[in-house]
Formats: sequence, C-alpha cells, structure tokens
Amino acid sequence: MSSLIRLQGVSKDYLSGPEVVHALADVDLDVGPGEFVAVVGTSGSGKSTLMNILGCLDRPTQGRYELAGIDVTSRSTDQRALVRNRLIGFVFQGFNLLPRTSALENVELPLVYRGVGARERFRRAARALAQVGLADRVHHTPAQLSGGQQQRVAIARALVTNPPLLLADEPTGNLDTKTSHEVLALLQALSLDHGITVVIVTHEADIAACARRIITVRDGRIFRDERNENPQIASVESHR
Amino acid sequence: MKALRTALEMAILSLVRQRLRSLLTSVGILIGVAAVVLVAALGSGARSEIDRQIQSLGSNVVFIFSQPAAKSGAKSRANMGMGLTERDAEAIRREATAVSAVTVYSEVNAQVVSETGNGKIGVMGVDENYFEVRGYEVATGRRFNESEAQTKAKVALIAPTAQEKLFGSLDPVGRWVRVGKHPFLIIGTLRSKGQSPFEDQDDRLLIPIGTWRSRVVPTLGDRVQLVMASAKTAEHSSEAERQVKQILMQRHQIAEGEEPDFRIGTQQEFQRMQEGIFTVLTVLLLSVAAISLLVGGVGVMNIMLVGVTERTREIGIRMAIGAKPGQIQVQFLLESVALTLFGGVAGILVATLLMLAFADDLGFPMQLNPAAIGVAVATSVFIGLVFGFWPARRAAHLDPIEALRHE
Repeated sequence: MSSLIRLQGVSKDYLSGPEVVHALADVDLDVGPGEFVAVVGTSGSGKSTLMNILGCLDRPTQGRYELAGIDVTSRSTDQRALVRNRLIGFVFQGFNLLPRTSALENVELPLVYRGVGARERFRRAARALAQVGLADRVHHTPAQLSGGQQQRVAIARALVTNPPLLLADEPTGNLDTKTSHEVLALLQALSLDHGITVVIVTHEADIAACARRIITVRDGRIFRDERNENPQIASVESHR
Repeated sequence: MKALRTALEMAILSLVRQRLRSLLTSVGILIGVAAVVLVAALGSGARSEIDRQIQSLGSNVVFIFSQPAAKSGAKSRANMGMGLTERDAEAIRREATAVSAVTVYSEVNAQVVSETGNGKIGVMGVDENYFEVRGYEVATGRRFNESEAQTKAKVALIAPTAQEKLFGSLDPVGRWVRVGKHPFLIIGTLRSKGQSPFEDQDDRLLIPIGTWRSRVVPTLGDRVQLVMASAKTAEHSSEAERQVKQILMQRHQIAEGEEPDFRIGTQQEFQRMQEGIFTVLTVLLLSVAAISLLVGGVGVMNIMLVGVTERTREIGIRMAIGAKPGQIQVQFLLESVALTLFGGVAGILVATLLMLAFADDLGFPMQLNPAAIGVAVATSVFIGLVFGFWPARRAAHLDPIEALRHE
C-alpha cells in the first residue's frame, strides 16, 4: 500500500499482422510517493507501452496495475477517464496544447471535465500558471508562446488538478538544451516541493541523469533498475 | 445541467474558432429552413385568401348551373336547351324548406358607355333577392324597388371597378349610361366585394332581370343562366342541395339515373375543392423545401466528419486529461446542434425579411404562424442531432493513444 504505482506481472501483446508482438513481458514495478523516476530505453524497447499503461490510456493483456491503491486494470473506459482526470497529469513531447486557445483555457480544461465552476477554474488555472512562471502569459495562445513556454503551460495543465502522479513522455524532446534544463528543473522542484511522483520517459542520458531512479527497459522487460544517489540538479546546470 | 452548460460553452468556442466554416455550413440549413417557412406561410396565406374569396360569394349559397346534357342528339326533349327558368327559381322558393332565399341572374359582357367613358362590363340582370343571397351592399343611392322591377325600368346599380371605368372619380348616382341603344339611370353604387375565385365581382352593372331580358338580351325568354339559393344555415346546406335537385328533376322530367340538364354546387364544395388544390400545391412545395433542408443536414454531417478527423489530436488530448467518451460525444453533438440551430434561427429571420419585402407584390398577405416557427426550430435541432450523431460517435470512440499520435 505504500507504493503509488504497483505493476504485477504486466504483459502487453500486440497483433502485428499474423505475428504477436510482446511489447511488455511480465513486468513488476513499484514506485513510491514522491519519487523522481526516469524510464529509459531505445525505441521499440517497450517504454512507450509502459507509459501508456501507467497513464491508464491502455490496458495490459495480463497482470495487474494498482494506482494509489486502486486496481485500475479492470476498470471501464469511463472510470479510467476519471482516474486520469483525478490521479494523473500528462506532459507530452509535442506539448499537445489546444491550438487557438489561450494558455489559461488550456490549463482550465481538466477542471472543466471535473465539473469545477468557472470562477474556481479561473483561480486555480491562474495559480498553476503562476507556479510555472507564466503569470504574465495567461491570455497568449500556443502560437504566441515559445516551445519552453508551451511546455510549461502543459505542466501547469498537468498540475492544476493536484495529481499524485505526473507522467512526462519525452518532455524535452522538442526543446533545445537550455530550455530542456529549465523544464527539468521545474519538474524537479515540483517533485521536491509538492511530493508529486514524476515519471519521465526519455532516451537522453543527461535527462535521465537528473532522476533519482533510472529504469532501463529493453525488449519489453525491465533490464536495469538503479538508484541515482547524485542526481544532476538541472537548474544548476542551466545556469552554467 | 452545469456539465451541459460547460459542454455548450466548449462547443460554441470551437465553432467560433472556425467562424467561416461554421457560417458556410449553417447557410445550408438557413436556406432549407427559410424555404420551409416561406412555403408554409405562402400556403396558409393563400388558403385564407381563398377562404375570404369564397366567403365573398355569400353565405351558404347553393349554385344551380344550367348544363346542356346533350351527350347524343337522340336524347329526349329535356335536352332541347330548356335550361333553367325563372319559374324553376319560383318553384324552389316555394317548395324547398331548407332554403331561405332564391335569386336568379343572367349576365352578358356588353359595351357600356357613359358621358365620360366606356368599357366592356358585365351587365347582370338580377332580381331583388340577389343582394341578400350574394351579400352585395349598397354604398350610396338605393336599390331598385318592386315596381321598377315589374315595369322593367331602365335603372342600374354600379360596382366600384365599373364605376372607375365609366365615371372615374365622378359621383355616378343620377347620371346615365347606355347599354346597346338603351339609356339606364344609375340609382346607386355598390360596396366592393373584391375578387371571387371566378371573376372580379366589382366590374358590374346590376339591372332588374325583367329589364335585362327585354332590353339587353331579348332572345332568351324567361331562361336564366344561374339560380342561386341560400340555405338557411350551413347545416342545411346539403339538405337544400338535395331538395333543389329533387324539385328540378321533377320539373324537367328527368328520370332517376338519367343525366340532369343542370348542375348543383354548394359554397362548401367550392371551398373544399379550392382548398384541396392548395393543399396539394403546398405539400409539393414543402417537400421540395424539405429536401433542401435534408441536403443542408448532410452538409453539416460532412463538415462535422471533417472536423472530427482534423481534431483527432485535440480529442486525444481531451481524453488524456480525463474527458469521458460521453463528454466528447456531447460536445460534438452540441456543436452540430448549435450549427443547425443557428442556421434555423437565421433562416426564420431571412424568411421573415423576404416576406416583408415581397408582401406588396404578392397581392395577399403571407401568414407566418408561430407553430411553423416552432416546427422550424425543432426541426433544425433535430437535424443537428441526427446528422451530428454519427460524427460525434466516431469522435467518442477514438482510441486516445492513436488520437494523440495523429498528426
């Protein structure tokens, strides 16, 4: 019960033409509250599948997934939407903000689906944007923001519901080195200050080096799971 | 309720982001709804105009036309062109209990000349009951009296159109007109009765039937063109028709089952017939208009499908952050309903404006009834739901992982 994430014997098979592809094979994984984890692996290693299962976007073929003590494996589509809304914040490589929609409205969106009233939505979205340092950009649309700013809007959107888990899929993939580190610093700070569990999927070693725990996925299995006693502090690096 | 409001907000927001496309899509619905509303208004306007015209014939009138029944020359003396006579009218007046008044008339189009003008005008020989049965009212002057009728006096009443032709703005009472070689004194003018389904009822000169027979068309004897009987009430109408038929069959010595030499029609029959024609026309036009509404609906569906494809990624994002499939479906459904509702309301406005613009040219008022507006609004919402359902369902059933990967 102390784990936030608990995977037990999780497998995921895909049918690719006549052949069955084992994207994940018998994965066990425990992640505790407040951990900062990097999942690394080459493309095709199964790390994206793992991410999708952790994010309740996909169901495992076999095994069991508990999130915050809730068995989400066998939940209905609607219930899993609810789990995503309540327990998980997503940050994507491509930012995935709604185009022609202001930063504020983007950040309000998860609260809309939660049924929060307009005034409360505005208050919380404005606070989340302030938290990521964009208090003065609330009415800008994605097209008017830089890549780093867009990703920070996306982080604000992930945070606005106060989820225990933040999943970041290649969050720095579309950013230059300096901006990447700014974004990473933000994620580190969130993890430290708010006790949010952060799971980052990445293929960049220097990004993974910022995490306290590095899980390497290879051929659908967890190949290595190691503690990183001296994580890079991204913010320091960014000031070099 | 609150969730629905937020969904509506989101739907409208999405539509506003695609202003031009939304506008063009709803134009299809606009045209359809405007067409339906216009046709319905035209239909009910035309119908009440017909009603009004038929009412202007009089009240509960039974018309008896002379009808030469000669199908083959060999057929009995009843076919000798006897037709209807004043004595037939007399008999009906005497014997038909369901009838309150009987009148006769004969009409001929004749050249009528006055001191200030001339024209072809319907000169009608009528008896003194004609005014009641047909509901003619005297505007100025007086009607001819019994002694004038009996002495075949050369007096006449003039209706507005004829008055305009012959006298312009002069007061005709006390002036003279000439029909053929006979001068007639105008003793009164009639109020306008307007157009009947058959003719302009105002282009007339009314003279006593006796005078008409001896001075205008002296060759007809006591035959008349038309006998009109007024039933006591609307309920007596068919009874009156039956009685009249019986009396005339007897008088004209026509056996049961033989073709009569007259034809009977009631005002109600005229009305039903005319309304029947207009109902058929209205239904035809309405179906054409409804097809254009259907085409508009297909346009909405098409655009919604394009929208779902284009916004696949957006749908993926919404799902990832916790939108349930149902919520996605409601949003897209509301978008299509908002489109069609907007088109519908705009269509009603356009139809109303067109009606106002063309009201004068049409000659009779179109009637925009509230029921038609209600139906139009309901129909546009319905079309939005029907044609938006499938695209919305497609959006709701997208796989979030696939949708997020969509470029």
